[in-house]
Amino acid sequence: MREFAAWLQATSLSVTVQSAGWIIPTVQSIHILMIGVVFVSSLMITLRVTRSVRADEPFAAVWSRFAPWMWGGLVLMALTGSVLIIGEPVREVTALSFWLKMALIAISVTTIVIFGRTVRPDTRTSATAEFSVGRRAVAVATVVLWLAIIFLGRAIAYDVEVWGSLSLHA
Amino acid sequence: MEIPSIVRSIEASGAGEWMRMSLKAMPVVEAIHVLTTAIVFGTILIIDLRLLGFPNTRRPFTRISDELTRYTWGAFLISAVTGLLMFAANASTYYGNTAFRIKMLALLVAGVNMAVFELVTRRGVAAWDKDVAPAPAARFAGAASIVIWVTVIVVARWIGFTKGYNYDIPADLDLNLQFPAQ
Repeated sequence: MREFAAWLQATSLSVTVQSAGWIIPTVQSIHILMIGVVFVSSLMITLRVTRSVRADEPFAAVWSRFAPWMWGGLVLMALTGSVLIIGEPVREVTALSFWLKMALIAISVTTIVIFGRTVRPDTRTSATAEFSVGRRAVAVATVVLWLAIIFLGRAIAYDVEVWGSLSLHA
Repeated sequence: MEIPSIVRSIEASGAGEWMRMSLKAMPVVEAIHVLTTAIVFGTILIIDLRLLGFPNTRRPFTRISDELTRYTWGAFLISAVTGLLMFAANASTYYGNTAFRIKMLALLVAGVNMAVFELVTRRGVAAWDKDVAPAPAARFAGAASIVIWVTVIVVARWIGFTKGYNYDIPADLDLNLQFPAQ
């Protein structure tokens, strides 16, 4: 993986991203803006499951309001994240936080997709139906996963400080 | 550049010292700052878009706003505290940084925009709370807020790339380092 990262870092595409000083800060800014969109969209869906917001609306209305923003934001995050990897591949792939983050994103996205598809029709369309305790726990867990993902994203820049001897940099 | 004494005091404070000396303080505080800023931006964006009439005007503005404001303020409070901690770590460097100054100015403009909206525009909310296009002043406040908060986040990210580090080397430090033989 290090060899791949070193090769990628030497490609002209990567050199362009590295040498144009504005690209990485701009792309990181878009990435952070999208954290706001994705996290809050996911939070709104979870808060509806726990009936903390929009309890007067059916789950389906809240899902159709926020899920497209969540998925759209995730696509933009994947694109901007890819540019960041191309620009700084060694920094990314040699960070334990990066790999943990990727794993948690996979788990979180899979969980949300399955959750969205398996809501019972009556719970989906009723404004008064309650979600089971298990489903509420899963919804809250996705928010906790996003918190961990956001933390790990920032921790990529501090792999040794955060992970000590566990860091892949060490 | 003349650094005001309050900036020096913040930098010399126990919090500033802790931020500089602790290995884990900066990453943890930064991560919380990014997270809470994201919550502030995301929740405000929902309210701002509703002020622009998006996605529709069926849900009353006041209901959307009242439900979200506590999350926005809670996150903003944590964001301000973590931001102050980061500032304390290198206060004099931040003080002279142009991106940091633009960010503070943008935050001030965001505050003024919000105050005008809350104290003036929102008084007439009954006329446009539901099923009609929000008043022009409300739409302006929403559009301005989106632009201002995007600016805050973009210039904030720029701080990290432009502030550099304060590498003042003590005059009595002996730099005749002895490196082991290769």
